[in-house]
Amino acid sequence: MRRSSLVLSLLSLALAGAIATGATAASSADPGITGKTILLGGTSPLSGPASAYASVARGANAYFKYVNARGGVHGRAINYKVVDDAYNPSQTVQATKQLVEQDKVFAIFNSLGTEHNVATRSYLNQMRVPQLFVASGATTFGADYKRYPWTIGFQPSYRAEGWIYGKYLARTKPGARVAVLFQNDDYGKDLMAGLKQGMARSKVKVIAAQPFEVTAPDVRSQISTLKTSGANVLALFATPRHAIQGYVFAERLNWRPLIINNAVSSASNIMTLASEGGTNKAVQNSISIVFLKDPTDVKWRNDPAIKLYRTIMSRHAKGANPKDVYHVYGMAVAYETVKVLKAAGKNPTRAAVMAQTRKLNDVSNPFMLPGIAIKTSATERFPIEQALLQRWSKGSWTSFGGLWGFRAG
Amino acid sequence: MADFFQQVVAGLGSGAIYASLALALVLIHRATGVINFAQGEMAMFTTYVAWTLTANHGWSYWPAFVATLVFAFVLGVGIQRVVINPVANASILTIVIVTIGLVLTFNGLAGLIWSSEVRAFPSPFPNETWSIGGVAISQQDVGTFGVVLVLVLLLWAFFQFTKIGLALRASALNPGASRLVGVRVGWMLAIGWGLAAMLGAVAGMMAAPTIFLDPNMMQAILIYAFASAILGGIDSPFGAVVGGLTLGVGLNLIGAYVDFVGADLRLPVALLVILVVLLVRPAGLFGKPVTRRV
Amino acid sequence: MRRADGIRVLVFLAASAGVLLLPRLISDFRAQQLAYVGIYFIALLGLNLLTGITGQISLGHGAFMLIGGYTTAILISHQEPPLELLGHQFTGDMRDIWTIPLAGLVAGFAGFLFGFPALRLSGLYLALATFAVAVAAPALVRKYQGFTGGGGGINLFDVEGRTGGSTTDPITFETTSGVDILGFHISSFNVWLYYLCWTLALVLFAAAWLMLRGRLGRSLRAIRDSELAAVSSGVNLARYKTLAFGISAFYAGVAGSLLALATTFVNPDTFPIALSIFLLVGVVVGGLGSLWPLVFGAIFIHFMQIEWAQKADLVIPDWIPFLGDIDTDAPGAPAVAFGVVLILIMLALPSGAAGLLRTLKSLITRGYHRVR
Repeated sequence: MRRSSLVLSLLSLALAGAIATGATAASSADPGITGKTILLGGTSPLSGPASAYASVARGANAYFKYVNARGGVHGRAINYKVVDDAYNPSQTVQATKQLVEQDKVFAIFNSLGTEHNVATRSYLNQMRVPQLFVASGATTFGADYKRYPWTIGFQPSYRAEGWIYGKYLARTKPGARVAVLFQNDDYGKDLMAGLKQGMARSKVKVIAAQPFEVTAPDVRSQISTLKTSGANVLALFATPRHAIQGYVFAERLNWRPLIINNAVSSASNIMTLASEGGTNKAVQNSISIVFLKDPTDVKWRNDPAIKLYRTIMSRHAKGANPKDVYHVYGMAVAYETVKVLKAAGKNPTRAAVMAQTRKLNDVSNPFMLPGIAIKTSATERFPIEQALLQRWSKGSWTSFGGLWGFRAG
Repeated sequence: MADFFQQVVAGLGSGAIYASLALALVLIHRATGVINFAQGEMAMFTTYVAWTLTANHGWSYWPAFVATLVFAFVLGVGIQRVVINPVANASILTIVIVTIGLVLTFNGLAGLIWSSEVRAFPSPFPNETWSIGGVAISQQDVGTFGVVLVLVLLLWAFFQFTKIGLALRASALNPGASRLVGVRVGWMLAIGWGLAAMLGAVAGMMAAPTIFLDPNMMQAILIYAFASAILGGIDSPFGAVVGGLTLGVGLNLIGAYVDFVGADLRLPVALLVILVVLLVRPAGLFGKPVTRRV
Repeated sequence: MRRADGIRVLVFLAASAGVLLLPRLISDFRAQQLAYVGIYFIALLGLNLLTGITGQISLGHGAFMLIGGYTTAILISHQEPPLELLGHQFTGDMRDIWTIPLAGLVAGFAGFLFGFPALRLSGLYLALATFAVAVAAPALVRKYQGFTGGGGGINLFDVEGRTGGSTTDPITFETTSGVDILGFHISSFNVWLYYLCWTLALVLFAAAWLMLRGRLGRSLRAIRDSELAAVSSGVNLARYKTLAFGISAFYAGVAGSLLALATTFVNPDTFPIALSIFLLVGVVVGGLGSLWPLVFGAIFIHFMQIEWAQKADLVIPDWIPFLGDIDTDAPGAPAVAFGVVLILIMLALPSGAAGLLRTLKSLITRGYHRVR
């Protein structure tokens, strides 16, 4: 090859690259959709301190595979690419850019973590990539829709959950003195803020609060301090391991307050662990909210949705533990996504999908408790705003009272 | 005053667990001159093995306990032979990086095999409390405490009175000379790793009934154990125990009674205190200062 | 100048030209990934100066990156309410790129101060001390949230006038993006990031090389080989050790600042303890005491975390019971892949990439002599 032709070919190569990058912006169809597939992407902590949450993405992926095996969405298979971010927002940003710019996903789906989604939100909104059903209970994902129209959350916000507990105590236990164990981050602080909001203007008071770091080995010292405060209600705003420890150390100190346990840690299998083979009496009469069907709860043993859940898990998530309720969460959100994609038409665009998320009205999501609606409107972007209260007695949860509705924010 | 003693008792309970893992760190350092960052993850992994034996295969506690110790020993020896020995002549940092590779591997494997769901681990001690003057003392904590004391005595006796113990110390101090007098240094080091893995397994099995089992359970404990071992003087088993207990009690008292610190700054403040101690005694509380030769 | 140095300068210039031309040959997205490699390269140059050259183990360099990253973030952010320290409000009127050297200086000063207590410690004890810094820094950031934004962090994407960010004209609604600098127009943020990171990386690399070939390098190496011998031959231990800490932390601060600009977000979790450990991994994989082979360490820690570890099915062979047929989205799979690859690399190349290059070089020269 002569030198001039080498230079020419290099030039044309560079030019082709330039055209290629320009071309994607110009074409009418959105990226990530072909005749046979829809590509979704998301980040999840497959490694690192929060790896327990990785089950959410696994449950969702299993459900997509199940849908694909039955023909997919309008003949398209949903491919869901999960990238590990080790729960580090800096890696979430890199992984999300990789999904958008290199893998060219149609939408970012259910990426996990509050700060992690905050870190990518401005970028995704600028690129006009849907940030679908964010896996975080932070209020901002529903409240700030005017500024971030391409973002929508899913689960009840932590603040709303705390508010229900506060309201419940104000109504049923006037004069209660509450001690709070909370994880020292936005999740724990939001729950606590909601709790205080719910009990405002009542005789119920938070008289002691102890934070703990998510990396702390145990919460023994905190529980000991909280007991000293003389409280008769203990709120555990902690993820499973520390919530279980909360029960265990309360029992060891012979402390028997009414215990409120947040929904992240209240699956039946976790409560069973906390009851230490029936020897732990502190577990009795615990209170928690619930909005998903718990696969370890005996009352759903023969429920068709939970049966389907078990089948899907055994077929499409090899080696995963079906008792883990986070998988159900993943399936519930995947179910809703499939529904939204179907409703967005035969050739969905990103804008059409977002338009669908602004008019959700679904009372039949099989993985949610009966009666709970997934509902949004042009001015209301919190999909789930209902939950039931339940009480733990004799080894299982029993819900009581009616649906608790709340306006998040 | 009861509150104060309650915090002290709680601290001793946590401290005993730090101490038991710190003992494993001390053992490996004494026998092979390396800090094994994978000590915590190996302990977690072997604890999972014990869990599988009791929960999935119906073993009762003590047979599973013994089988796990055997497994841990084989694991430790195997790791030393397969991945540590080949880099024994490289820089100490290369060995450290290999142990970091082991951290990632064991943590990932545990997640893959047993999932990251939290598990309950049985305890050999009754789940009851004694109440003395308003201070609740858990029998499990007392049991853990006893186990740690027995371990440190055994370890001390092992190094002091057995031939293998002597050979181990010799191999670590002066491998060349040891080889000359007929000590098989390579295998001595492997045995050191095996014994440390056993100690780690005990630490894991003592910790798990209280803090519950999951793949990340030993990560924080390793930090505390590392700090305990350094505080006590990295080569002193006795120092490791004192270091662990001091750290456990100190953390709780700082967290509970120094308002400025609270629960969120207790670890940084505790580490700061250890630093100050080290500035006064650069080889730890019970370490012997090393004389440097040119 | 010696002749060998002349050749080195030529090689450096050629390599720089290659680095600067590279974006024309690769995709926009690759440019962004390589920008991160540049950031890690800067951090590794700094850590290597301390650990590889001077022999002082640091398990806490992530903390110095944190200081750099937060310096930049605080100086340019428009938080509501504004961040405040001792009554002074930081309203973010500083142009982002000017904060980079400041971030380096702030981190460097912190490193220099840390060098004093470190004087009394060595080996494992120093390792614990530096580790303590890595543990303490994120906790302090969470605690003093009025100044740092706390756990929620600081979002830099929407900062007005962010270099490389796009701006929309309020009247014409015309969106302009890209960077005009020194008469060049760079149209994409990713390419801009690449140039920014690699220009600084090349400058800092050259600076490290110049520093280490002279008196400073000799003194630092002498300290590593034997402190006692160094002192007896007239090296001022306190001065050189604290200086090594300071320079090393300066590099880390610059890297942290760039990381904040590249990620456009900082919070305590963006500088975890794992970062400090991965930096040490990078230095050893690149080669302790080496300079340019550290690029391989940087490539390793960046791509391993973000891309290669996701391909666990390639690392774990199918015939292994239980694990052979795992899904790559199974929790734990990336960690196993990372761990196994790391161990294999250390077994194959105990002295890192630099060791391999040395072996190759000696093979080639020996072969050359044999032929002659």
